[in-house]
Amino acid sequence: MSLKVTDVVVRRGVGPVISGVSLEVHQGSITTIVGPNGAGKTSLLESLSGIIPIASGGLEIDGQEISTLSRRQRSLLGLKHVEQGRMIFPSLTVRENLTLTARSKADFDEAMSLFPELEKRIDSPTVLLSGGEQQMVVLARTFAARPRYIMIDEMSLGLAPVVFLRLVPVIQGIAQSGVGVLLVEQFAHLALRAATDALVVTSGKVSYHGPAQELLADEALLRNAYLGQ
Amino acid sequence: MNIIIALAVGFSSGALYALIGVGLTLMSVLTRVINFSLVAVGVFGAYLSIRTSPLIAGASLDVQTVITVVVAVLVAALISGILGWIEATWLSEATTTARSAVTVASLLMLISLSFILFGSQPQPLRPLLIGPAFLIGDVAVTKVGVAMLVAALVVGILTWIVVNRTPLGIRLRAVSDRQTAAELLGVNVKGLQVGVWMVVGGVMGLCASIIGNTAAADATSMITLVIPGTAAALVGAFKNIPLTIVGGLVVGALQGALTAFPSTTQLRDWIPILVIVLFLLWNQRKEVWDVAR
Ligand SMILES: Nc1ncnc2c1ncn2[C@@H]1O[C@H](COP(=O)(O)OP(=O)(O)OP(=O)(O)O)[C@@H](O)[C@H]1O
Ligand SMILES: [Mg+2]
Repeated sequence: MSLKVTDVVVRRGVGPVISGVSLEVHQGSITTIVGPNGAGKTSLLESLSGIIPIASGGLEIDGQEISTLSRRQRSLLGLKHVEQGRMIFPSLTVRENLTLTARSKADFDEAMSLFPELEKRIDSPTVLLSGGEQQMVVLARTFAARPRYIMIDEMSLGLAPVVFLRLVPVIQGIAQSGVGVLLVEQFAHLALRAATDALVVTSGKVSYHGPAQELLADEALLRNAYLGQ
Repeated sequence: MNIIIALAVGFSSGALYALIGVGLTLMSVLTRVINFSLVAVGVFGAYLSIRTSPLIAGASLDVQTVITVVVAVLVAALISGILGWIEATWLSEATTTARSAVTVASLLMLISLSFILFGSQPQPLRPLLIGPAFLIGDVAVTKVGVAMLVAALVVGILTWIVVNRTPLGIRLRAVSDRQTAAELLGVNVKGLQVGVWMVVGGVMGLCASIIGNTAAADATSMITLVIPGTAAALVGAFKNIPLTIVGGLVVGALQGALTAFPSTTQLRDWIPILVIVLFLLWNQRKEVWDVAR
């Protein structure tokens, strides 16, 4: 059971922003993608969830080709994408955000319990929340949907370091419950520590693919991978 | 002529504009489109429903009327649903401007089709509501006018309840707020949008069935009621339903006031255009100010 990406090419505007990326996220594991600004990380996730099309290559969930499916169909197969930059529903309250995605009261309560900060804002429209609170809402509504594969683009955005630190074991717990996790992070160290696999993407190509621990342990390797050497 | 009388004279038209304006506002908020073909689908539903008469000639008059209206509503909902499906399938990422432009195209298509199918004469629709509901001074307020206002209020209130108090409403608002994010969470955006098109289309089918036999209502003059409807919706900035209803009544009242004098009666059709232009200029004001800074 895995989310499999084979030799994917994504074009955007002038040319390819992802050229020939392959990776596989197994259920129960965490893969972290790091890389400099403009490397194509967001574009890669967007092509997986169907926001933008792929030019060539293959995308599979548990052996089923998904590259021709709509965003909704991919979502219904259990692939959930937390987009970069707090894509909130401004008019929905915190409660409504979770009602939208949770299929049971238990799912609702569990997602809510991960973010006690939101409790006192539960009936406020999301637009009135602070940036960090909004990011919590976006994460909570996705967790409440009980994804089978979850892709999170810059989870740390706007979150206080202590909140991010608290979320690392949460993500690990979600993975242990059998979910395949794909993280994209700018500031790599913490996200790599949580991960089993790591990719470094530079200029649309994979410059490192291997155990996350190895990349963490070798500062020079990480730096070189970032520079695309 | 005092204001009350002007209101009364223009009330029936104004209430109709209000209802159309409410439909336009709903669609603008929930499906990102200014639907200029809105009234046209209603007229098609009403006029096509007449074709059922030979089939139901045996039934009692009341039953015939009910069947005809139901057919009108269903046909209008169906045509509207098809247009909505086209928008949701091929123009789901398009701007509101592009999506609205397509409804102008379907409006023109429906107008020429209505010439072919129905000619330029009013069609023999069954009378539903006839005569005055009550008098203000010696001005009669028609039942049709009252029905239109009630319909506008009912649609407005029901919409408010559905949008703000039901799980369906949460989905509708999510799609209205941020369509892509809703899709990524598995919300059936296309289904919801087609649903909104069908419901509003159906309401217009009912509306056309009611107004269709009241005046010298030929297809084109009914279809172009979308212009004063747009004026009403603009008063509510395509967002605010209560203001839209007020806007419709005001446009009607202004028209009513003009008919008081023979010399100004001719100008009544210009009132909606005038209101539209004024509101567009009013909205521009801020942008001009921003640019000037
Ligand atoms: N909507 C767009 N249209 C055209 N080109 C785009 C668009 N969005 C991004 N790009 C280009 O695609 C390339 C990859 O961008 P992308 O956002 O995927 O990078 P990223 O790795 O996520 O960067 P960051 O770390 O800053 O989020 C960039 O060169 C960018 O200019
Ligand atoms: Mg990015």
